[in-house]
Amino acid sequence: MGFDLNRVIRGRVWKFGDSIETDAINPYYRYPTMEELKQHTMEAYRPEFPLQVKSGDIMVAGRNFGCGSSRPGLVLREVGVAAIVAESVSRLFLRNSISRAIPIFVAPGVTGIVEDGETLEVDYPQGVVHNPASGKSVTVRKFPPMIEQIFECGGLPEFARERYLREAALGKRPKA
Amino acid sequence: MSAAAQTMAEKLLTRHNLTAKPVRAGDFLEARIDGAMCHYHASDPLHEMAVQSGFKEGLPRVWDPDRIFVLVDHHQPALSQKLADENALIRREVGRLGIRCFHDAEPGISHQMMADYGLMRPGELVVGNDSHTISYGALNAGGTGISRADMFYVLLYGELWFQVPPSIKVVLDGRQPKYPIAKDIILYLAGQYGDDFAGSMSIEYSGSLVPKLSIDSRMCLSAHGVEVGAKFAMFPEDEKTRAFLRGRTDKSYEPLAPDPGAEYEKEIRLNVDEMPFVVAKPHQFGNVAPVDEVAGTKIHQAQIGSCANGRYEDIEIAARVLAGRKVAKGVRFIISPASQQVYLRCVKAGLVETLLEAGAQVVTPGCGVCQPRVGFMSDGEVCITATTRNFKGRKGSLNAEIYLGGPLTVAAAALAGEIVNPRKVIHGL
Ligand code: SF4
Repeated sequence: MGFDLNRVIRGRVWKFGDSIETDAINPYYRYPTMEELKQHTMEAYRPEFPLQVKSGDIMVAGRNFGCGSSRPGLVLREVGVAAIVAESVSRLFLRNSISRAIPIFVAPGVTGIVEDGETLEVDYPQGVVHNPASGKSVTVRKFPPMIEQIFECGGLPEFARERYLREAALGKRPKA
Repeated sequence: MSAAAQTMAEKLLTRHNLTAKPVRAGDFLEARIDGAMCHYHASDPLHEMAVQSGFKEGLPRVWDPDRIFVLVDHHQPALSQKLADENALIRREVGRLGIRCFHDAEPGISHQMMADYGLMRPGELVVGNDSHTISYGALNAGGTGISRADMFYVLLYGELWFQVPPSIKVVLDGRQPKYPIAKDIILYLAGQYGDDFAGSMSIEYSGSLVPKLSIDSRMCLSAHGVEVGAKFAMFPEDEKTRAFLRGRTDKSYEPLAPDPGAEYEKEIRLNVDEMPFVVAKPHQFGNVAPVDEVAGTKIHQAQIGSCANGRYEDIEIAARVLAGRKVAKGVRFIISPASQQVYLRCVKAGLVETLLEAGAQVVTPGCGVCQPRVGFMSDGEVCITATTRNFKGRKGSLNAEIYLGGPLTVAAAALAGEIVNPRKVIHGL
C-alpha cells in the first residue's frame, strides 16, 4: 500500500500531550492480537479514543511522540488515523512509521494552532499544516528524497522488493 | 586538505558509509551493517512483511548468516501456547535461512547475551529490532534500535539508511561510591533536562568518573540512552572494555574516539558527588524527584532486573543490603538476573543464597520482570523497580503505580516496606 505524500489530508483532531509512549499506542504485552489492540490503543490517556476514533481522524501530539520501545504504530492506521502530526517524534517511532509508510509529520508549533475536535489540514506538498477555522498554520518538515521514495513504495519491505527485482533483472545477487 | 574533526558518531558512520565519503551531523547516508540482533520478531511479522511485499515464499535469503544473531529472549521459556508456536516457527526460519548464531534454549535478555557472547565489538555498527540495542555503546560499539521493517531490509542487504545525529557530550565527574549509581545518574539527568534531552542525538560519555565506572554501570547508562531519546550512547574504549572482551571475542576491532575539536550540539556536566538519590514517579521516565520527596510511600512490590539493571553489581548490592535481614512483610521482592551467565556468577558468589534467606524471589533470567509477564500488579498497588520503564500499564493494571529507582534504592525500599532514602536504612554509605 503506497502512501501518497502529495495528497492533502483533512480530518478531525484528537489532541495528546508530550512523551506519549509506545506502551500506550501499542499495548501488545497485554493485548497481543490486532483485534484486541484496536480496542485498547491510547486508552491509557483517553479511554474514549478506541471507542470513538473514526476513519480519517488526525492525531496531534506534543514533543517526543512515540517514545519508548521499537513497537510500531500500525494499530493507529488500523483504527483509521489518517495522519499523525507532532511537535517532535521519537527517532524509533519515526523510523517505524517511515518504514511502514504510516503518514507521520513533524510540525513544530502544531499544538498551538489547533484544539481537540477541530479540523486540521496537512498539506505536505505546500509544506504547511493549517487550521481552516482559525486560519493559523505552521510549517511541516520535509523529508529527504530517499525517505519520500520509501513512502511512495509503501514502506521499506516494498522498497527492498523493488531493489531485489531490479538487481535480479541485472543478473546481480549471487548468493541464493 | 585535512579531514574535519569528527565526533564518535560521525566517525562511526563515515567508516560505514557505502560511498566512503566523510559524513557530518545532519547528512543522510546508506551504511554497511556489522551485526544484526534479531529477537523474537524473527518470524511472524518478518514473514508477513515478506509475503506482503511480494516474496511469496518468505525472505528469500539473508545477506550474511554469520552476522545475524537470533536470540529468543522475551518469550522463553514459552509463557503461552501461542508463544511456544511462534518459537517453533522461529526455529524453522533460522534453519531455512542458515543463520548460525541462534539461542532459543537459554533464558536471558538479548542485549546481555550479545555482550556475554562477545557478539559486538568497539567501532562496529550493530542494529537490533529492539530499542535497547543502544546499550552496546557501553562497549564502544555503535548500537542502535531499528524497526522491524528496517530489520527486513538489513537481513536482505546488510545495509540501512541513517541520518548522522548531532552529538551531545555528557561529562561525568566525581567519585564512584561503594554502590552502583548509573541509574541515579540517568534519572537525575532526565529530571534536570527532560526525557528527550538527547532526542535523535548521539551521547558521548566522558569525564573523570568514566574510567571508574564498571562495564555493568556503563551498560545501564547506555541502555537508558533510549529513555532520553538518543540514537547512540557511547563510552570510550579502555582497559575495562578490553578486559571484558578478552576471552569473549577473538576478532580484531578498531575503537572509536572523537577528534579534538569535534563539534557538539551541547554539553552537559554532572558532578555525581552532589547528586541526591532520585526516583522517577509514575508514569514517565522524566518525572523525577529526590527520593526524600516520596519517602514513606508504601510499596507492594520491588524489582531488580531488565537490560538496565539485571547485572551482577545490581544484584550484589541487593544481597549486601539484605544480608542477615528480611524483606518487609507482604512485599514481593523479585530479582531477575539479565542472563544465565549473570545468574551463574551470582550463584557462585553466594548472592542467591543470601537473597533467598532474606525472603526475596529470584526468577529466571529474561524480560518478564520488565513487562506485565512476571509479577503483574493489581489496581492501587505500588511497585518500585530497577528496570527500564514505568509507563502506565507496564506491570498490568493501568491503576498501578510504578516508581523507577536504582538497585540500592529498591533494595532499601524492599527492606523498609516503603520508599526510603537508602541512607536511613543502610549505614556507612
Ligand atoms: S528487559 Fe525490558 S526493556 Fe530490556 S529488552 Fe527486555 S523488555 Fe525490553
